[in-house]
Amino acid sequence: MKEFKHIWLAGLLLILALIIVPVALFWPKDAGAQDDPWADMPAHPAHTDHSAIVKGPFATGQEVTRECLSCHPAAGEQMLNSVHFTWEGDPVLLPGRDAPVTIGKKNSLNNYCIGIQSNWRGCTSCHAGYGFSDNDFDFANAENIDCLACHDNSGAYVKGDYGLPVEGVDLLASAQSVGLPTRQNCGACHFNGGGGNAVKHGDLDETLYFPTAAIDVHMGEFDFQCIDCHRTTNHQIAGRSLSVSVDDANQVYCTDCHARAPHTDERINTHLDSVACETCHVPQGAVRDATKMDWDWSTAGQDRPEDPHIYLKIKGSFVYEANFTPTYLWWNGTGDRYILGDPIDPDGVTEINLPLGDINDPNARIWPFKVHTANQPYDPVFNYLVQPQTVGEYWVNFDWYAAFEKGMETVGLPWSGQVGFTRTEMYWPLAHMVQPKENALTCTSCHSQNGRIDWIALGYAGDPMEWGARITP
Amino acid sequence: MTSSRNTPLSRKNLWLGALLVAAALLLTTGAALSRAGASPAEQTNGFHPTFALLDSDGVNVLSSGQPVSTMNTCGQCHDAEFISRHSFHSAAGLDDFSSPGAVANGRIWDTSNGQFGNWDPITYRYLSPAGDERIDLTTAGWVMLYGARHVGGGPAETGRAGQALASLRPDASDPEAAILDAHTGQTKAWDWESSGTVEMNCFLCHLSQPDNAARIAALEAGRFAWANTATLAATGWVIPAGNVYAWNPDAFVENGELKPEFVAIQDPAAANCGLCHGQVNADLSQPVVLGDSFAADWRTLTTGQVISGQRISNSGINLQSKAEITRSWDIHAERGLECVDCHYSLNNPVLAQRDPASQPEHLLFDPRRLDLSAYLYQPLHEFARGQSAQSAVAPELWNTMRRCDSCHDAAASHTWLPYAERHTAALACETCHSPQIYAPALQSRDWTVLDANHQPLSEFRGTDGSPADPAALVSGYRPVILPRQMVDGGAALAPYNLVTAWYWVYGDPARPVRLIDLEDAWFDSRAYSVEVLALFDADGDGQLSDLELRLDTDEKVALIAARLAALGLEDPRIQAEVQAYSINHNVTNGEWAIRDCSACHSADSILTAGFDLAAYAPGNTLPEFVAAGDSGGVMLGNESALFYQPAPQQAGLYILGRDSVTWVDWFGILAFLGTLAGVSLHGGLRWWSIARRKPAAPAVEKVYMYGVYERFWHWMQTITILLLIVTGLIIHKPDMFRAFSFHGVVVVHNVLAFLLVANAALSLFYHLASGEIRQYIPRPYGFFDQMFVQARFYLRGIFRGEPHPFEKSPQNKLNPLQKVVYFGILNVLLPLQVLTGALMWGAQRWPDLAARLGGLPFLAPAHTLVAWLFAAFIVAHVYLTTTGHEPLASMRAMMLGWDEVETHTG
Repeated sequence: MKEFKHIWLAGLLLILALIIVPVALFWPKDAGAQDDPWADMPAHPAHTDHSAIVKGPFATGQEVTRECLSCHPAAGEQMLNSVHFTWEGDPVLLPGRDAPVTIGKKNSLNNYCIGIQSNWRGCTSCHAGYGFSDNDFDFANAENIDCLACHDNSGAYVKGDYGLPVEGVDLLASAQSVGLPTRQNCGACHFNGGGGNAVKHGDLDETLYFPTAAIDVHMGEFDFQCIDCHRTTNHQIAGRSLSVSVDDANQVYCTDCHARAPHTDERINTHLDSVACETCHVPQGAVRDATKMDWDWSTAGQDRPEDPHIYLKIKGSFVYEANFTPTYLWWNGTGDRYILGDPIDPDGVTEINLPLGDINDPNARIWPFKVHTANQPYDPVFNYLVQPQTVGEYWVNFDWYAAFEKGMETVGLPWSGQVGFTRTEMYWPLAHMVQPKENALTCTSCHSQNGRIDWIALGYAGDPMEWGARITP
Repeated sequence: MTSSRNTPLSRKNLWLGALLVAAALLLTTGAALSRAGASPAEQTNGFHPTFALLDSDGVNVLSSGQPVSTMNTCGQCHDAEFISRHSFHSAAGLDDFSSPGAVANGRIWDTSNGQFGNWDPITYRYLSPAGDERIDLTTAGWVMLYGARHVGGGPAETGRAGQALASLRPDASDPEAAILDAHTGQTKAWDWESSGTVEMNCFLCHLSQPDNAARIAALEAGRFAWANTATLAATGWVIPAGNVYAWNPDAFVENGELKPEFVAIQDPAAANCGLCHGQVNADLSQPVVLGDSFAADWRTLTTGQVISGQRISNSGINLQSKAEITRSWDIHAERGLECVDCHYSLNNPVLAQRDPASQPEHLLFDPRRLDLSAYLYQPLHEFARGQSAQSAVAPELWNTMRRCDSCHDAAASHTWLPYAERHTAALACETCHSPQIYAPALQSRDWTVLDANHQPLSEFRGTDGSPADPAALVSGYRPVILPRQMVDGGAALAPYNLVTAWYWVYGDPARPVRLIDLEDAWFDSRAYSVEVLALFDADGDGQLSDLELRLDTDEKVALIAARLAALGLEDPRIQAEVQAYSINHNVTNGEWAIRDCSACHSADSILTAGFDLAAYAPGNTLPEFVAAGDSGGVMLGNESALFYQPAPQQAGLYILGRDSVTWVDWFGILAFLGTLAGVSLHGGLRWWSIARRKPAAPAVEKVYMYGVYERFWHWMQTITILLLIVTGLIIHKPDMFRAFSFHGVVVVHNVLAFLLVANAALSLFYHLASGEIRQYIPRPYGFFDQMFVQARFYLRGIFRGEPHPFEKSPQNKLNPLQKVVYFGILNVLLPLQVLTGALMWGAQRWPDLAARLGGLPFLAPAHTLVAWLFAAFIVAHVYLTTTGHEPLASMRAMMLGWDEVETHTG
């Protein structure tokens, strides 16, 4: 009888299989696009509680670092090679130049506070190190690394002149609190670039500490930390800013998590060869807090009523704007860069960091930018931009001549003795403050009489909705 | 402390104040400048050349100071005569103007198919035919009232007999040359010579900033000749000068032509169309609001449709759950389409499509098209149009426009949709793709009463207040789904709004009571008459609230009727009508369209949902549909509402999961329960009889009864049939099984049905090939006797412990009763079920075949009936397997093959 029972069971299984297999084959499938961004989200292991491990006491930041290195010896070497510490990137060959140049915050000019050289005391308070006070700073000494700047989780660690902890910081409490970098760690410098909240980037400001979904969908709705996108291995943090990095190595992309063509709407997906995700999903810059759009250094030094968003005697006059409509340009991810000493046309507008790419560049896509314009110091005889010393000099004495002289001496370039001001522009691609799809641009935002994109300026014959897409080689 | 905190605040306030003042200054100066005509309107494309403006004598307006003549001005380059002769927008029904009663499908008092003569109960005023005793709206009155939504030319220029209006002599008795004086109630002569007429107004549709308000003001004031010039008020070409306009020399160069920067001529944009047709908002930065213009936004008033690419969540309407409605008002507006992209000029060489019937079959595209210059000279101003019951004008152009499927390939985008062809055949695309209207719409207009402002009572759906009230909460509404007769034959269910109107008519043949007479019936010198107040003013406050203004008793109806009769109106009586306004815009994409099967396939199907018509039926008069739209449904009323219950069944539709034939289900349930009761009784008696007597254990022997394949096909059939009945029941009554996905269950049912048919076919082959089929074929000889013996055994012998009358053997497994029952099942029920099922499944593949066999309304109930019979059979069948020598013996035999058979040796 036993084998019969087996036949009976086998028969039942066969029948069930005959039914289940075709049902499974024909079962209605969801036709939605396959985008599962959570699958690529990095998992962060729980950080070891250091409160019982770190004993102290610490008199200086360097002592903390020494303690850190005693258990994490490799971290020192990693940090010594990271741009957060070196403040310069790998040498790159820029268009029109013979030799590669090394660019970074260390040696570059911008059109905000202009440059760090001779101004280290103020600027290097955001350096991930201790005591960066002149060109002789020892970049090879691992004890000069500031671990706490990024790993303090107490929220009470504050850096001051030359990046040293300010008076009164409880180094032991801070060292015992260490963990993964939080929004607070990154934001302390990156949200305050340019010397204050929201000044510089146009898409990074203190509203991102506790944003709503309408400010940033990733950080607001899904509670992302900075390091969820700016993935970090061995202290090399992914991400580039066109202001100081002209190549596109180690960049962060939406497609790190999202599918290449994630929209259910085929029409939207056909845009992706020419339009960056950010163009539609970062429809406005500086969503809540106003950012600086223009800076006129030439009016500095006057005794006028002051307002940090309108005029300051030490800095000149400003234009701030919130919720601004970006400027749209082709960008292939790389940029050109003004290098100290490059000749300029003082009557024209000097581009400090022109994004590269045009309609014929298959790697270029249309990107949203904040364009920061300035009227900044230059040498009217030698026709190049000038590095003035502001910290401790112009900001105290309001004497451009002394500021020019000291600054140019520091950078080792001749100064004619003349002072002038010239128009410059900087480009800031907008990639934060990403909006949920409900707030993204719609067709007629760009494709209409009053659309926000100037198609002819981008190189099209007219609106590609009517003229067709660009044809790239 | 306080002062230091206050300083920055007050400074901020100061700044704010200064900004506000500056903005106000800018706005006012801007407005003043545009009024003064100093700033040119924005030229949207530089294509149109400069031109001179000519008056009706062909003289440059700069020298004559006369109003512009569009025919002469635009006629310098375009064939303006041709354009105005080929435009139903202009003719507005004048072409087929006839006498009352002669309009096909019209009301008895209608005189044309167009706005000029086709009475509409929303505006109410009646264009009086010649010779009518009581003149209501004269031609001049029509231009004043309807001119707001008429482009000029046609009846604003030409008389009903084709004569020029300007040639008519003033005559107080001629509705073409008179006007009704609202104060005296008398007609007086109208002098067309001094008022002028309205030429077709090219500027209204072809300017980027036409001043429609100024145009309407000129029309309402009877300054017809200046209406088209008034349209230019925002262009900078003219400067207002009292009642007329002076030409602004700064806008022109010496030779009298416009300066290039003032030429703001363009293709008609959606906003131009919206001036007459409904609310359009092309500027994404300006939130959509309803406001006071709602009543003038015709399509928005009648349907709630708004044309804008803006996300509804960004609108300024106080809309319920607005933040979640992130779809746009209209996907086509969102995607940058203009009205004229679908409603194009019929000879536009870019968009015109040829009638496929006039083309050789092999030809996909005929490149021989009108030359662009020829088109620009004579652009047809007949525009491709759909079909709507209200706009009956130009019936020859119905459905000249592209339909959804001219641009969209539904098959490519609806792969997820089961029975896609069947759905697209039975449903208009709009049914799923315009599932909800997010603005209010007119629901009813009651002209039987007048409020204190001499206005009718209006009710709106989709809002808890008035559409003009920005504080009212708007919920929007779900359109009613009614069959739409398609031009190519057939009917498809499509979304509509229903607008019901009640009004008084008089005389024979009937015509609407004039507004002026209605006012006399309700009011005595501007106040409600004492008689009226006495009857209607329930709370005695001397006012009539909307709730008191109800003709809800015979007494009230009789009073108003008597007061109308006293004015000399013969037999005044209440009539009511429902107009179905079709919804074709406010389309959304698949993400927001109806995708849920149960929206239609359930008891609360939207296809049969009741649709509110009004709070009550004035004069107890039930409305009737005018023209198309009626689904054969019923008007139902209760104390709080009158509503319409659509009946798509009348259009030959059977909605699975929603529809059923009651008697089939009752019969089926009775058959099932009856069988269950029968076997229970029989089983109970058996149990009782066995308990009473000691059953003799019959001698049995083991026989290998059922081969492996026999057992396999039997159990395969068993499982599929059981599952088919269960899934079929879920599809039949999805509301009782809400846990299941309708779509999924349909798929399982179809797969099972295929398996059942395949299994039946293979087993038929087996039985034929092996000769086993003989077992199923009743032998005629002595068969009835044998059946009788078997039946007697079940009814008597089985209770007495008698042996089975017929020996079961591998060669003869079935007893005579089984044979006849299986013969019936296999030859009648199973084929019937397979056939009806296959045809239902094939309703989209072979719709004609299914339709010829009665269509779903016959096939589906038949399928249900047979399913019930199968269910009943299974109960009996399973029970009878227990009648062997021991209850589970047969079941075990069918599972394991070996049966124990009684040996009838004695």
